[in-house]
Amino acid sequence: MYRAAMFTGSLVATLLLTVAFVGCGESGGNSEGSENGSGSAADRGPLVTYSATSAKVRGMDPMDIGDTTSSGVASGIYDCLYQYHYLKRPYELIPSLAAAMPEVSEDGLTYTIKLRGDAYFQDDECFKASGGKGRKLVAEDLIYSWKRIANIKNISKNWWIFDGRIKGFDEFREYTKAVKDKKDVDYDRPVEGLEAVDDLTLRITLTKPWPQVVFMLAHLPTAAVPREALAHYGDEFLNHPVGTGPYRLKDWRRGSKIILERNPTYREELYPSEGEPGDEEAGLLADAGKRLPLIDQIDISIIEEDLPLWLKFLAGDLDISGIPKDNFDTAITPSRELTPEFREKGIVLKVYEEAATYWYGFNMEDPVVGKNQPLRQAMNLAIDRDEFLTLFLNNRGVPARGVLPPMIAGYDKDINSPYTVYDPELAKKKVKEAEAVHGGPLPVITLTMGSTDSTARQLGQWFARSYERVGITLEVEYMDWPTAQEKVKTKSAQMYAMGWVADIPDAENFMQLFYGPNGSPGPNNMNYKNPKADALYQKLSVMEDSPERHELIREMQQIVVDDLPCVFTLHRVAFILRYDWMKNYKPHVFGYGLGKYRNLDAELRRQRVGR
Amino acid sequence: MLSYIVRRLLYTPLIVVGVLLVTFLLFRVVQGDVSSDIAGKNASPETIAEIRKEYGYDKPLIINTEAARERGVLAVFDSQFFHHFKSALTLDFGRSRSKQKISTLLMEGAIPSLSLTAPIFLGLLITSVSLSMLVALRRGGPFDTSVVVVCVMGMSLPILATILFGQYFLAHKLGWFPVFGYEPGLAGAKYFVLPALLGMLAGLGGDVRFYRTVMLDEIQSDYIRTARAKGQGTLRILYKHLLKNAMIPIISKVVLAIPFLFLGSLLLERFFGIPGLGYLMIEAIGARDSQVIMALTFIISILFVLGNLATDVCYALVDPRVSLN
Repeated sequence: MYRAAMFTGSLVATLLLTVAFVGCGESGGNSEGSENGSGSAADRGPLVTYSATSAKVRGMDPMDIGDTTSSGVASGIYDCLYQYHYLKRPYELIPSLAAAMPEVSEDGLTYTIKLRGDAYFQDDECFKASGGKGRKLVAEDLIYSWKRIANIKNISKNWWIFDGRIKGFDEFREYTKAVKDKKDVDYDRPVEGLEAVDDLTLRITLTKPWPQVVFMLAHLPTAAVPREALAHYGDEFLNHPVGTGPYRLKDWRRGSKIILERNPTYREELYPSEGEPGDEEAGLLADAGKRLPLIDQIDISIIEEDLPLWLKFLAGDLDISGIPKDNFDTAITPSRELTPEFREKGIVLKVYEEAATYWYGFNMEDPVVGKNQPLRQAMNLAIDRDEFLTLFLNNRGVPARGVLPPMIAGYDKDINSPYTVYDPELAKKKVKEAEAVHGGPLPVITLTMGSTDSTARQLGQWFARSYERVGITLEVEYMDWPTAQEKVKTKSAQMYAMGWVADIPDAENFMQLFYGPNGSPGPNNMNYKNPKADALYQKLSVMEDSPERHELIREMQQIVVDDLPCVFTLHRVAFILRYDWMKNYKPHVFGYGLGKYRNLDAELRRQRVGR
Repeated sequence: MLSYIVRRLLYTPLIVVGVLLVTFLLFRVVQGDVSSDIAGKNASPETIAEIRKEYGYDKPLIINTEAARERGVLAVFDSQFFHHFKSALTLDFGRSRSKQKISTLLMEGAIPSLSLTAPIFLGLLITSVSLSMLVALRRGGPFDTSVVVVCVMGMSLPILATILFGQYFLAHKLGWFPVFGYEPGLAGAKYFVLPALLGMLAGLGGDVRFYRTVMLDEIQSDYIRTARAKGQGTLRILYKHLLKNAMIPIISKVVLAIPFLFLGSLLLERFFGIPGLGYLMIEAIGARDSQVIMALTFIISILFVLGNLATDVCYALVDPRVSLN
């Protein structure tokens, strides 16, 4: 899943989405039957964590999931073949439904994956043959789940994961085009590159080397769903999820609350026994070796407004929260620490970098901005990124000068451009050069903002003022996000606000945004083309991660930064608050379904807030 | 009266067609094709084409002459408008952009919305009518002046400020009400108290001002003077004579407001986490989910048409001078 995000419309929203992301995964408590837990749920009552999300869950069919909130919730219910190690950094994949990491053929085309034999689907009425008892997961389940994505009649948003990657899979998709109804699609129709060698062995044959495939096999849309559930629930499957994950859906009051409860048939999976330096001191290894999940129930409220979210957190009704923009100064001191008042309440601050870069893109096919490099340089030089961060983000970010955020392998702080710094005097000179290139005075530049709220308007005014100072006239048009997206996709936006939140810890996820053939409506919205960059992308996208690959990534980034198809603005930094009764909290930028690792000191919570 | 009702009902299909045409023009013609938006950022052209097919964007707007030539004259109706028409009449609105069944969304949202708006509506009606009768009776006195001042202040206060005040002080600081939440059934009644009170508070100023004007017109009438001269008690004058004769404008305001109760209250629902239709509507607008917007617009329009008819019938019932012929 690629996630594009416009910064403007989501100053607050993305903050709260962070809550969704973190909150959906939070948990606590000691598991029933754990070796050194504090007894069973029957002894001490169910352990429940409370969190919030700022957006509604749209549905829980992995095939259709494309938003952060739905992913956060559904990832507690489903499992993929692989998952991220909870504690280790840099981010590392470990088996989930798979028994081990894949065996890869020498040519890098064939992946053989052994499944663990103890993964069962959650008990559900769809398993009629067994009287509602969930059955064992087999390799065919994964093939079936992926074929559902390929079935064009299902209009899944996630076909891009497999598009052109697996032998014979595109042909299967072609076949589904000709089928009249999605129910008539023959899911037993063979696909050359997807083979269930036996019940517990899956073989994937690629069309060309694609080392990132393993990351995709940890991506929620590729989770296993049972055929029986689709047969039983049909189109309503999105409201009746059945997976193999640590939790199952207990209650879903649409638009209000979601409750997940422990899946009693979850396979034996243990809390990790090793992490990175400092984890032990931070208490993150206190539950090492205990059986997951550690808590019994996850209670997620849907709270879209800042004020009720913040008030509920302050009252201790939520265990974890982001910090709304307007409340930032009440919680955080100028030295970026938690205020004493908050510390006394047992609140703990966690700050971490997000894997995201935000920018204002130019449509490189536009005859004005696309063909005028001095103009793009001037527009970069005119932007004071530090002021931008102070004004609009309470300094919750760092200025971006290139494509990759710092946590992604291949990031190079030395990649820079003399034009991605704030220098209004040089900008004025570049405007003169731009006028010469243009052949006269520069026309008005139009910036498309995909939001009409007050923050977007403030941003628009700030950009217009910044450019006015160097002699560029900017007109800002405000519209809803879908309309703005449509303009970008149809190449009719001249300049627009955009960003990219990485789905996988691999630079390719970002670099594909600058690959010529991926132009609109593909992910390269800037319609940027540079033959040298394209050649580098073609090489790095099929390579295993290595120092040689990092060098190619660095070269490609430098080309992009020299060409400046956008105004790079920032990489976000998240500020998350939690109460100290919530244990085992470690931010994870890519992982979902982390609720199974979290723990809870229920006694401490009772003492503090009487709940 | 029966013939009048039948005649009005016969007009209804024409109004319905008009409503459908307007919503169609707004959301299909003006808004245009949103297939690529639905498909997401990385969609291939064939996925977009499939979505166009699924949502009917591949068909002509009003009439399908090409299909008529190929498949017979009836195929002329195989167009976007007639599919929209059919789905509305059969109340099968299809699925939203998130693939949820729209009829289910509407049914699920109507109860929370009504649970919030019905108490506000009834409480507001009873309070504002009673208060306006009293101030009309004491016109020009300190009580009347105070009420008018408070009403003007109430009308000047944005509902958002009222909500923020209530949520912060009454719920968070004083702890009198829950800050936020929703539970179905009676168990959830506690979550509705504060939003309902705030909704009433926000509407009270305008309503009292309106009803006060109505009551003042009536209170100077001969029949009130006669009743007073006969020595009838204040309550009897107010509720038997004044209220009955002031019913026409009250009915106009009340009956026409009923259809909109289903739409809920957008801000109250959002701030207090009540999953009603107001919430659904604003979400649909934000996401350009034209199927949901059209469904909601259609339902409200029909209710409005029926509300209009009910208003006319109520006129005749409460005032014998009104004839429906």
